[in-house]
Amino acid sequence: MKILVTIKRVTDYEAKLQIDSSGNKIKLDGVNMIANPFDEIAVEEALRLKEKHDGEVCVLSIGTADATQQIRAAMAMGADRGILVKTDNPLDCTALSQVIAHVAGEEKPDLVFMGKQAIDDDSHQVAEMVAERMGAPQATQAYKVSVEGDWVTVVREADGGLETVSVKMPCVVTSDLRLNEPRYASLPGIMKAKKKPLDERELSTLGLSIKQSMTIQKLELPPTKTTGEMVPDVQTLVSKLHDVEKVL
Amino acid sequence: MPAKAGIHPRVVMPAKAGIQNRPQDILDTSLRWYDNILERFGMSSAEHRLLRQTLQNFVAKEIEPGALERDQKEHFDLNLFRKLADLGLLGITAPEIYGGSEMDAVAAVITHEELAYSDPGLCLAYLAHAMLCVNNLAVNASESQKKTYLPKLCSGEWVGCMAMSEPDVGTDILGMKTSAKRIDNHYVINGRKMWITNGVLDASGKPADITYLYAKTGEQISTFIVTPDCEGFSVGQKIMGKTGMRASSTAELVFENAKVPVENLVGEEGDSIKHMMRNLEIERVTLAAIGLGIGKRCLDIMIGYANERKAFGKPIAAFGQIQQHIANSYAEYQAASAYVYQTAQSDMSRLNSDGVKLIAAPMAKKVADSAMQVLGGNGYVSEYVAERLWRDAKLLEIGGGTLEAHQKNISADLLKRGGFESCGDRF
Repeated sequence: MKILVTIKRVTDYEAKLQIDSSGNKIKLDGVNMIANPFDEIAVEEALRLKEKHDGEVCVLSIGTADATQQIRAAMAMGADRGILVKTDNPLDCTALSQVIAHVAGEEKPDLVFMGKQAIDDDSHQVAEMVAERMGAPQATQAYKVSVEGDWVTVVREADGGLETVSVKMPCVVTSDLRLNEPRYASLPGIMKAKKKPLDERELSTLGLSIKQSMTIQKLELPPTKTTGEMVPDVQTLVSKLHDVEKVL
Repeated sequence: MPAKAGIHPRVVMPAKAGIQNRPQDILDTSLRWYDNILERFGMSSAEHRLLRQTLQNFVAKEIEPGALERDQKEHFDLNLFRKLADLGLLGITAPEIYGGSEMDAVAAVITHEELAYSDPGLCLAYLAHAMLCVNNLAVNASESQKKTYLPKLCSGEWVGCMAMSEPDVGTDILGMKTSAKRIDNHYVINGRKMWITNGVLDASGKPADITYLYAKTGEQISTFIVTPDCEGFSVGQKIMGKTGMRASSTAELVFENAKVPVENLVGEEGDSIKHMMRNLEIERVTLAAIGLGIGKRCLDIMIGYANERKAFGKPIAAFGQIQQHIANSYAEYQAASAYVYQTAQSDMSRLNSDGVKLIAAPMAKKVADSAMQVLGGNGYVSEYVAERLWRDAKLLEIGGGTLEAHQKNISADLLKRGGFESCGDRF
């Protein structure tokens, strides 16, 4: 089976982010960048499926040339080849789904495996849009994945408990946090990754008319937490909540 | 690696309830970007960078959580050690055909620096295996010996050690007493070896699966591969009560008419000095790399703490005396790091492999000392890690060549050359 896994290059969750002077961008200078952790989980699951059912794992990233680092890292884990669609302008969810669906149309994978969301903007929309554009079924937030014949069975974590969904390939599946623990790249894996094919294309050469439907006007850092205060009794608590915090 | 969304197993300090003003996470200020400096000077390739990232993830998740306990219990964790094989680290420099990863000295330095960032003791056990034993065999053994021993050493099925020092002989290797005498198809070995890292693998006294042994054949020194089934070979004692590097086990080995088959001789009789010369550089450069790991960790510790801890109403980082510790430590770490990586990259001469250890070992001890000083009382207790690294750092001034031995070698080399200019290319 052929699996296409998407990887987004995102800021390290440990990084202390600052807003650019323009007010609508994060300062990326000197910030450590990583692969979106949900995407790493998707890579791991794709590799496990490949080990079981044979086939090929291809990783796709959309972004600046630096994203080759994240693609190589996935190759070091065991992915067979990579595609980078290069663009210096960040794309919104609509545009991303357009590009991914386009590449999927060319590659014709049995399975498009994506992280359920990226940890930078947490949109949680792209995979759903990709499935729609491909006219393919989707099973999101996978907690467990198994393949039998043309069918993928996904156990997903829903609000009320676990839900089991079966979808026919080709389809789109997204990973949740507890699906697996991604393996470490081994040294031989790292050396092999160097020689694996990585196809770099400019976004403009895909012949798509990209329409961004969202622009970022302004970014703000979350408010800083003030230290808590001990109150002697419930009465004081209630009056504080009412008079000072004005939440009651 | 899992759970990166928020619950990543980063290296964090345990928080103690009820104590005010204690940093919850004093490692928040990461020094990782320093690695980029190396890359800017072309000293680290994309593969090296990926190796370092992988190791940082691995170390945070697998090594750091038990480091304190391994130190306190003087416990060499064989299962954890074997996990290093999954990453291809146990035969990092050995040829691929024997199960190794065939990486260069820079990769070996990165690996030691990152392992020592968390647990220098475990890293020392790793060094004894991968550098002193595996790399030695890969460089000096015959094809059939490599075929027999390397695959199992690279896979972690076997653990190796190297035995040179003796109870009464260290730096002065030609004075070693252990002797090997050929009788028919065997060598009969007598003597004792001391301070052998990995010489014993568990509390029951199980010896290493492979002991790479030096012994005198007449006036010269010869190299032998000794396996546990060798009659007359035993572990004398597991050496307890070491100051530091307590996550590695250290042994005295005893040879009483020990019978070693002739095919276990490495090379020819009297080849040992040649063997040692071939392996010495990487041994010392990686020992120096342990110093780098200690230095880097201690910088992380003191910077994080200085930002969090307050005195007289402001963070202690605002005081010049604290800044002096941080700034000096940083510059000394960088100087040592530049020397170690440059040597690993381009000039693995005996002169510089002595030089890097002479610089990096005292740097590690001094930076660890600064970290303890910045942390005050907290620096003096195990929970805050610095004191463990301070104890570990001391070993680097003694093991694998004392500082005095490095000084002796360097000055002998320089005096023989008659000048500094002939010591290698400069920029």
